[in-house]
Amino acid sequence: MLSRILYVNLSERSIKVVDRPDLFSRYLGGAGVASKLLLEEAEPGIDPFSPEAPIIFSTGCMTGIFPCMVKVIAMFKSPLTKNLGESHCGGHFASALRFAGYAALVVNGASEHPVILEIIDDEVKVKMADSLWGLSALDVEKVLRKNEGMHSVASCGKAGENLVYYSNVIVDRYHHFGRLGLGAIFGSKKLKAISVLGRKGIQLENPLAVKEMYGKLHHKVVTSDEMSKYHYLGTPANILELNELGALPTRNFKESKFKDAESISGETMAESLLRRKISCPGCPVACIHLAGLKTSFAPEHERGKEEIFHEEVLVPYNYEAMYALGSNLLVKDKEDLIRLIYCCENLGLDAMMMGTVLAWTTEAFEEGIITLDETQGIKPAWGDAEAYVKMIDNIVEMKNKFYAKLAQGVVAASEKYGGREYAMVIGSNGMAGYITGYGSIVGPLVGARHSHLSNSGYSIDQKILNQPISIEQIVDFLIEQEDWLYVLYSLGTCYFARRIYSKEVVCEALKTLGIDKTQEELTKMGKEVFHNLYKFKIREGFELGEQNIPKRIFDVQTPHGRLEFKVIKSMVDYYIKKREKEGLHLKPEEKALKELLK
Amino acid sequence: MRFHIEVVHPERCIGCYSCVYACSRHLFNAVDPSRAAVFVRVNGSLENPFTVIACRFCKNPECALACPRGALQSLPEGGVTLIASKCEGCKTFDCIDACMIKALALDKRTNFPIICDRCGDCAKYCPHNVFKYEEMK
Repeated sequence: MLSRILYVNLSERSIKVVDRPDLFSRYLGGAGVASKLLLEEAEPGIDPFSPEAPIIFSTGCMTGIFPCMVKVIAMFKSPLTKNLGESHCGGHFASALRFAGYAALVVNGASEHPVILEIIDDEVKVKMADSLWGLSALDVEKVLRKNEGMHSVASCGKAGENLVYYSNVIVDRYHHFGRLGLGAIFGSKKLKAISVLGRKGIQLENPLAVKEMYGKLHHKVVTSDEMSKYHYLGTPANILELNELGALPTRNFKESKFKDAESISGETMAESLLRRKISCPGCPVACIHLAGLKTSFAPEHERGKEEIFHEEVLVPYNYEAMYALGSNLLVKDKEDLIRLIYCCENLGLDAMMMGTVLAWTTEAFEEGIITLDETQGIKPAWGDAEAYVKMIDNIVEMKNKFYAKLAQGVVAASEKYGGREYAMVIGSNGMAGYITGYGSIVGPLVGARHSHLSNSGYSIDQKILNQPISIEQIVDFLIEQEDWLYVLYSLGTCYFARRIYSKEVVCEALKTLGIDKTQEELTKMGKEVFHNLYKFKIREGFELGEQNIPKRIFDVQTPHGRLEFKVIKSMVDYYIKKREKEGLHLKPEEKALKELLK
Repeated sequence: MRFHIEVVHPERCIGCYSCVYACSRHLFNAVDPSRAAVFVRVNGSLENPFTVIACRFCKNPECALACPRGALQSLPEGGVTLIASKCEGCKTFDCIDACMIKALALDKRTNFPIICDRCGDCAKYCPHNVFKYEEMK
């Protein structure tokens, strides 16, 4: 198993490769290895923007070998949550790194001047890149793109350079390390981009078995109903499904149905603006849906008002961005919605968190806790995309103290201005587009990275609609799901392929790579990865509890009725008890905490 | 079984590299886009459509004509076969340069050109029917 880790120190401009078979044989790669490297590399209490703060990228042991094994796991300390930063990204990055001969990459230190990190197999260079500073990640991709081999460009945008706490890193134009502010960590290190060209590939040790396994998996992926959703309409199919269910966050989660859902639905997009679909290398699904957005020429070059001569730019759209900048802001014009997404792409922002921030701002303005003085004369109003575009610009430029606060997220802003009860974050991370029931709240609350993808809480809510189960059973599901997902995230699996890679299938596939692990051993490993991550979280001051939930969620109608505080509290208590039995103390005594800080 | 393979719908390509990986597995027991006889090429940015390139099985192949040692022998059904004993990894790469659509790559480990053997795996693994393929009689 490949276990080479490339370490790059940007302060010293030094490079070394360390072989860590110990880590990889135990954790298989991906999230498992990254969790250990993060504990090794990050000093307790480290400032996310300090030069010593590490960025870890790890591929999985199946990266590039089997279908849908396309993700790189990034771990870092998040500026947004001041805690665990974990973000997964597709695109060419995982394959390129792997084909270059590295299972993982650790970036430390900071440069004084803008640089890029260029990796071409064994040639690793830190290159001056003043000329790229200030460019969008989309332009950087064009500048650095190599047309041959497996090549990837991961770049922050202006938001990352300016240290916006929820800036992202865009990979190969359409893929993102979207959440928790990796862009700002790049910015703080003056690291504009990482360019990786892998030309070594992977030599298969047991080709016959791998080919047979590949054939079976490929067939499953291209024929199964579970995957076809991601290909046809993509995740935007959720807009109408969730609206029908009464679970589509609308008007900053005040409502769960959007009367104009139809006009921004996945169906509408597919019929009108959809231009192309693309895949990550190694995945035949093509879940990335690209919409065409007209960009007009200068007025004097247009023929009248109709703007019939236009260029078109392709913008990736998915459900989360569409809920966050669409229904949740009452933006009902599909082109406005795509324009808002493009605005985030162009500046390098997490579209989900941006939606959370704009929704909070609109409501805070309505409530009168912020005024035109703070917004510099812009009137944030539901559905007014033009005002939102201006505000996004102002946030990235940090035009005044108010916008600088917004650049730190809604918790920071609401601490200063009020309105915490409708700052729609869980564990400081902007909520995903599901108000489906208890799973959609408790899931991200207990999840290591506070994501809806942590443990699919939103999904269990929908499954159990007509078959009431106990809250304990929901919690049991969340635990089992998250532990297992950390196995998949250690292999390099995309979340969308989770149903293809059952425990049985994973064991069989691992065997073809010469890795013998039983289902029990794997499950235990997944649990251990989760524990490692929580060790980091607790060390950095995370306290699991109901305080991390905005009160607003108790006011909105969900498919399971109105949610009750006491139910969530008892779910969290039960969760803590269950994890305690596994030896993970979520509310550690002072002594135990000291032990962790050692 | 051997196939006639043709890239007929490159505009359908989603950039999944399933064809490339399949080819590399078949020819070299590897997953390596630089060791394959089919190519998914990026054109300046992922914003642009991909180019898919495979051997066109020319009747009068440029690559064969270009080789000073006659190591690439043209076949009656089109395309070429490599006579390894005549090819010494000549380092002038005449055959590679001659192929106008750049369907020929050099195996960096052996310095031999990589020749499509018409196995059809590229077409079989393409999820979007970019290729047309039929069995050769």
